[in-house]
Amino acid sequence: MSEAAPALTEIALRGAGAGALALAFGGAPLGVLLIARRMSLSGDALSHGVLAGAAMAFLIAGPNPWALTLGALIAAVVVTSLSSLLARTRRLPEDAAFAVVYLSALAAGVLIISRVAGPEMLEQLLFGAANAPLDRPTLLLLGGAATASLLTLAVFLRGFVAESVDPGLVRASGRSGGGLHLLLMLLVALNLVAGFRAFGALMTVALMMIPAAAARFWATGYAGQAGFAIALSALSSATGLLLAARFGGEAGAVMTLCAAGVFALSGLFGPQGGVLSARRR
Amino acid sequence: MRLEGLNLAYGRTLAVSGLTGAFGPGVHAIVGPNGSGKSTLLKAIAGLIAPCAGRVVLEGAGRADIAYLPQDGGVQRDFPIEVADFVALGFEPRLGLFKGVGAADRAALGEALARVGLEGLARRPISALSGGQFQRAMFARVMVQQAKVVLLDEPFTALDTATAEDLTAIVRAWAQEDGCVIMVQHDLAVVRELCASALVLAGRPVAWGSIESVLTDDVLTQARRMARDATLSEAAP
Repeated sequence: MSEAAPALTEIALRGAGAGALALAFGGAPLGVLLIARRMSLSGDALSHGVLAGAAMAFLIAGPNPWALTLGALIAAVVVTSLSSLLARTRRLPEDAAFAVVYLSALAAGVLIISRVAGPEMLEQLLFGAANAPLDRPTLLLLGGAATASLLTLAVFLRGFVAESVDPGLVRASGRSGGGLHLLLMLLVALNLVAGFRAFGALMTVALMMIPAAAARFWATGYAGQAGFAIALSALSSATGLLLAARFGGEAGAVMTLCAAGVFALSGLFGPQGGVLSARRR
Repeated sequence: MRLEGLNLAYGRTLAVSGLTGAFGPGVHAIVGPNGSGKSTLLKAIAGLIAPCAGRVVLEGAGRADIAYLPQDGGVQRDFPIEVADFVALGFEPRLGLFKGVGAADRAALGEALARVGLEGLARRPISALSGGQFQRAMFARVMVQQAKVVLLDEPFTALDTATAEDLTAIVRAWAQEDGCVIMVQHDLAVVRELCASALVLAGRPVAWGSIESVLTDDVLTQARRMARDATLSEAAP
């Protein structure tokens, strides 16, 4: 493989493949939930927001992967809570509150990282470095994020679904959906943080959301869509990595374009509202 | 269930004031002009709005014993969920996050789907239901909740005749099972047919009692006048 892979060595390919598989299992089911809750852009916004935490951690502890992770997670909690609080004042719609808080955090992150670590580090955090072999902590983190996501979904799925479909029902039964919302955003942040050192913050979001959007053309229930999203994310990543290895190019970007291709094919051939299946009816 | 000196507000705007009284078993209507606080009162009884004064007393019942069917649904219809799973959300207030759905619950789910005529659509996504079918699913969800108090906000609006008749029969059955059904309803013919008592509301209670004593021309005219006066005083500088 290495002879035919000028941009991606065999070791890097295996590491990136394992990482992408973990991201498929951890991130794609969350992507389905975010889309179903009409929060697709919040994942994107969160990916920008966590940069500020990673930047602060870099400032304090240098390029220590665990410190970067912790910093990004703290930033996720802070920016999610702040934007929720701002939205609850009812002076701003929720998406505007997200935009204000996350974009401010992004600006702070860009400023700190570009001054302290330089533009290369900034580029790596935004767009990834999967062409370099993934280090052990990154792989462990991706596996841990996937495990935590699947376990949490297994335990709280009914609550997530109830709170997503009918928040009024949950509130009328005396519970607040705020805790579940924060838990969901924390899981999204955990996967983003785990993925952004490998595939970049933006490409990680893409690998969570695009396969999840494609899965809507294949299944009607949440469980079916989550299963398809995992499979389509893994398929996109594997294809993207092999193409990047064969022809060169930044792995995260090629994987994302493959996910876009899978989405287009799903939109054409998917049995649930795909263009061709709708015509056949 | 008792209301004791209940005042409800949105921010600094008072929506309902000075409400004291009780609802017993049977079907009760809340009627009044638009903006008279009917839906606000239902939300307060459901626990979705905190009173700014007074209280709602649920005698021998908890929050899980109240089922609320809002006017706009408040439901995200494009969520990927099938009809049976959507109706099963009615178990949520009783089971909470962790208790499992048992065999008796599954039987109740099947019965509720059959009662509203959706047993053949159990595996269809809710996004593919018509307005009438969706309202049937909402009623099935209320049924599996097995609540002591059922709150319905304009439950028959924009439904075809067959659906409205089927759902009306279900409401009548709830009342016969000793349940308490409180219904916001504009159509006075439906109120006269279904309800034992009515509260006429215009921000403040105008009248509260049996249908014969309350749904009179005098009371309804007074309610309209009070609601208009309240709107004018709000608009005044």
